[in-house]
Amino acid sequence: MLEKILKGGKLEKKIIANIKNYLNILYSAMECLKNVFITKDIERAHCIDNLEREADLLRREIVSTIYEGAFLPYIRPNISTFIEIVEKAFDALKTCAFEFRYLNKEFFEKIKDEVIKIAEINLEMCEILIKAFQCLIEENNLRERNLAIRICEKKIDEIKQDLTQKIRQREIVNFWEGKNISEFIEALVKISDLIEDASDYLYILDISLR
Amino acid sequence: MGKKVWEIMNPKIEIISADASVYYAIERLIDKRIRSLLVLPRDEKDDYGVVTVRNIVFKVLAKNKDPHTVKIGEICSKPLITVSKDTPVEELLELMERNNIARIFVREKNKIIGVVSFFDIMHHILIERAKK
Repeated sequence: MLEKILKGGKLEKKIIANIKNYLNILYSAMECLKNVFITKDIERAHCIDNLEREADLLRREIVSTIYEGAFLPYIRPNISTFIEIVEKAFDALKTCAFEFRYLNKEFFEKIKDEVIKIAEINLEMCEILIKAFQCLIEENNLRERNLAIRICEKKIDEIKQDLTQKIRQREIVNFWEGKNISEFIEALVKISDLIEDASDYLYILDISLR
Repeated sequence: MGKKVWEIMNPKIEIISADASVYYAIERLIDKRIRSLLVLPRDEKDDYGVVTVRNIVFKVLAKNKDPHTVKIGEICSKPLITVSKDTPVEELLELMERNNIARIFVREKNKIIGVVSFFDIMHHILIERAKK
């Protein structure tokens, strides 16, 4: 039934393929961000901008195809909302990469382990989100994926606490430096929040379609 | 599973001195919402220990002993069962089952660098299952 509703016709199939691509681009962007942190190569951060642009084109195509008549009308807003949540994750990634360019590298060394750990968990969450979307289509066990994403998010919350403690020990003497650190961390930990929201949304979508 | 212990361990360890009172340990366990504390060695010849809620209940409270006067060193479990950070998770799990223990500390050289509990293992297994 679910498969019929979601994978009905040509337009539906096109959207599903595009959403999968969209999520794969998110994964690539996250992988790129993790590598930027590991190598500390600021130039590599531009790959996130490129991937975000590519994803933006895909998002427009998905939304316009939805309103060309794909899916039953009551499902359309739900799919659009899911895409909008993922789009916010792209925004957070972009902000994070942008702020990293201006981050004091000496200070970064002090928080590097936590930052890389968060980037790794973000990547893991994105991998599970892709599986979760596949589960929605195949009527598989989405609940297990949703739980795993919640576990990952909890881990990031714990790391965020340690990170905040470390940051508070640093004396901020310049407004822009403080703003830069704050926005960098804010964006980094926001990614997992948004993936969790997207996963919750898929779960709600799954339940509503039963 | 394929992962190593360092990938799933919790590097945050709460420590306590062997000379501290059991009551102090109870306060720490309640405040931090944890179930065990790593007991520091008294000297270079001594080894680490662990004090758990189980130790406190069975060895002090159930026996009506005064937690203010009993020292941690008198009730903690020693020697500590430890693994290296490169131990595979499967091996760790076997060790926990064989010794009937809920947590294993991770040792590097002579220093404790982390702890793995059943919760960490459960989280790890659930995440790996979700990725399949």
